Amino acid sequence: MIEFKQVTKEYGQEDALKHLSLTIGDGELFVLVGPSGSGKTTLLKMINRLVIPTSGQILIDQADVAQIDLENLRRHTGYVLQTGALFPNMTVEQNAGIQLEALGWPAEKRHERIVELLTRMGLAPDLFLKRMPSELSGGESQRVGIARALAANPKLILMDEPFSALDPLSKRQLQALILQLHRELATTFVFVTHDMREALHLADRLAVIYDGELQQLGTPAEILAAPANDFVREFFADVQQTQYLQRVLAAGFGQQLTENSDNDLPQFKNSDTIYQWAQLLQQQPQQKIQVAGFLLTPQDLVDYMASLNQGGEQRA
Amino acid sequence: MLKSVWQYVVANQNDIIRSLGQHIEISLLAAIITILIAIPLAIILMNHRRAGEFVLQVASMIQTIPSLAILGLLIPIVGIGTVPAIIALVLYAIMPIFQNTYAGLTNIDPVLMEAADALGISKRYKLFRIQIPLAMPMILSGIRIAVVMIIGTATLAALIGGGGLGTYILLGIQSNNNAALLVGAILAAILALVASWLIKLLSHVSFKKLGIGVATLAVLIAGGYGVRSLATPKTETITIAGKMGGEPELLINMYRDLIEADNPNIQVNLKRNFGGTSFLFKALQSKQIDIYPEFTGTILQSLVKEPSGVSHHPQIAYQTAKKDIAKQFQMTLLPPMKYQNGYGLTVQKPTADKYQLQTISDLVAHPELSAGFDPDFYQQADGYPGLQKKYGLKFNSVRTMEPSLRYQALANGKLQVTDGYTTDPEIKGYNLVLLEDDLNFFPPYQGAPLMLTSFAKAHPAIVKSLNKLADQITTSEMQNLNYQVTVQHKKASVVAHKFLVAKGLLKK
Repeated sequence: MIEFKQVTKEYGQEDALKHLSLTIGDGELFVLVGPSGSGKTTLLKMINRLVIPTSGQILIDQADVAQIDLENLRRHTGYVLQTGALFPNMTVEQNAGIQLEALGWPAEKRHERIVELLTRMGLAPDLFLKRMPSELSGGESQRVGIARALAANPKLILMDEPFSALDPLSKRQLQALILQLHRELATTFVFVTHDMREALHLADRLAVIYDGELQQLGTPAEILAAPANDFVREFFADVQQTQYLQRVLAAGFGQQLTENSDNDLPQFKNSDTIYQWAQLLQQQPQQKIQVAGFLLTPQDLVDYMASLNQGGEQRA
Repeated sequence: MLKSVWQYVVANQNDIIRSLGQHIEISLLAAIITILIAIPLAIILMNHRRAGEFVLQVASMIQTIPSLAILGLLIPIVGIGTVPAIIALVLYAIMPIFQNTYAGLTNIDPVLMEAADALGISKRYKLFRIQIPLAMPMILSGIRIAVVMIIGTATLAALIGGGGLGTYILLGIQSNNNAALLVGAILAAILALVASWLIKLLSHVSFKKLGIGVATLAVLIAGGYGVRSLATPKTETITIAGKMGGEPELLINMYRDLIEADNPNIQVNLKRNFGGTSFLFKALQSKQIDIYPEFTGTILQSLVKEPSGVSHHPQIAYQTAKKDIAKQFQMTLLPPMKYQNGYGLTVQKPTADKYQLQTISDLVAHPELSAGFDPDFYQQADGYPGLQKKYGLKFNSVRTMEPSLRYQALANGKLQVTDGYTTDPEIKGYNLVLLEDDLNFFPPYQGAPLMLTSFAKAHPAIVKSLNKLADQITTSEMQNLNYQVTVQHKKASVVAHKFLVAKGLLKK
């Protein structure tokens, strides 16, 4: 569990973060989302003390990060940066194994672990182990970056806008990879992005940060249904208000209603927006709806939001 | 031209190889010391930007000081020879290596440094496995610049007795021997190119192998020095140095032969083409060298302050010089040789015959002869202006020209009268006539061994050996010897030895 308690960060006269409190649960895929300059990256970097707060506390499993052994904390925390940030003088294997080396793993065990991880990342080990970072595409670099973060089996992985520089195809593939990893591992992910569609797609819960303050905290559906204030509403507006249910169906979501189906479901029109749908979900989170002969579940809403972010109209 | 260079190389093979070795040794030592200073300094300062910028400023300031000035400044502090040469080279080379290392280390993508920190990598690992390797191309190009610069600048080491290829360049300039000059210059250039190429090769070698290579080299060098110091026998070694040119080289070879013949337990170490008067004089004062041949005229004109008298009589001039240098500098000037190496006026043999010229006074009646003088001689009070006063001499046409061109112009008939040094080999080479200074105008320049009085007292046997040369060697004999060395390019040691044997001063 990670707790931020009344965290403030001042850069000169300006407050980057103002008395922010927040708790991230174990095993969550938690997304910090907000426009650039909002303070979300600062917040992330406080967890492994790359940034030191002006005041306030950050606790990991009740232990203040200011008190615990920093090198040990960092060696047991995965960290993925924007561009992969691989060391250009080292091979893929050396890059991915750098934390293991720092932890004193023997070379043979290290090699086994990296082979396993590269395979998992979809990079054929015999092709990639000896490559230099300059010989990798953006997506491949970032896969190695993720392998590096996973190498030491960390309980916590921090990701700072890891996919913002990638092309849409690689981005979609890597998002799927993250979701899969999150399902398979008992690891907490803290993920920073400025892309609200990516946030909605990935998050178990997300925190909307703006101007150094926490605007809203909740699941994607909760936030879509009931934006806490004008900022949050506007931040997600262009996703919601222009999205008529017609387009959800056109994107291939929903199941054909059969005669056996429950016909008591609330009826929505093609021209209703997903905003209206989200409002209903706020009152009745599990409520399914019917639109023009199709059945839509709450999960469909979340998935649709996510698919938008990938720019595609089809389901994966 | 090519042929004469080749002949020179063949004749001086061993000396050239030794000089090349010295040059490599000086350059390598300077480069290693510079690397050991500049790279750690840059590493220490990379996280202290203000201090780093300050060091950069200081290093670039040092680089603007002319190298000759640095050498001059260092002599009173560390003396002469290899040490000040290496110090000067190090001071010069620090700037490019430090600058490149510092820039290489501080310009690494900050994202990579953040990643390294975030992954919990130790400072040491970060430095040796990430920062230095990433900065390595910059560091190596800095080293390359520095090494090429060191090899070029190391030619100046010859000026202060550091040896190296500069010896041949200076020798070539001094004695108008283009073959020697070319040998020095070409070898230095080739050495720089080879070194630059080797370093370029190194940039493709891994960091680990590089470390092993440097360590091996260091061990080899240290071992070499160890063996050399063990191999050197424990007899007394004295150092005799000479100014630039063939004549001093002949003299110090004679000194060595005479001393070693009489004193088997003394080994004489010669430093030829050691430098100008002030370098040698300072070297003698600081006991870097023990003996060098000096002229009475030079002592009176430039070394002692306010000489107690200026005489045109050689014997009196010697006595004055001996007395003053003993009083002011506690040095001993042994009795001089016979010849004088002062200014003189020369004409071609046919001219002398035609106008019946034997003395300078004979010239007064022939103002129609065209004269050409060295610019110094033309201006100095003991040159042409003094001659005009003393003899009432006046030429209708007087030109100033480069010393090295005068004799050629005379031989080509473009000039009829020129100045020269009385022992210049060209006098023999061009079959010229040296006109007698019948009014004793030119100050006497007689050569004699100069040493500290304390040295003379501690080594009476050496003084005795050197005194055998007193009142020996006439002006024409010296011209002849100089001719063999500087024009015919015979080896000075051989010429000197043969002369001593012929004169009966040496047994075989």
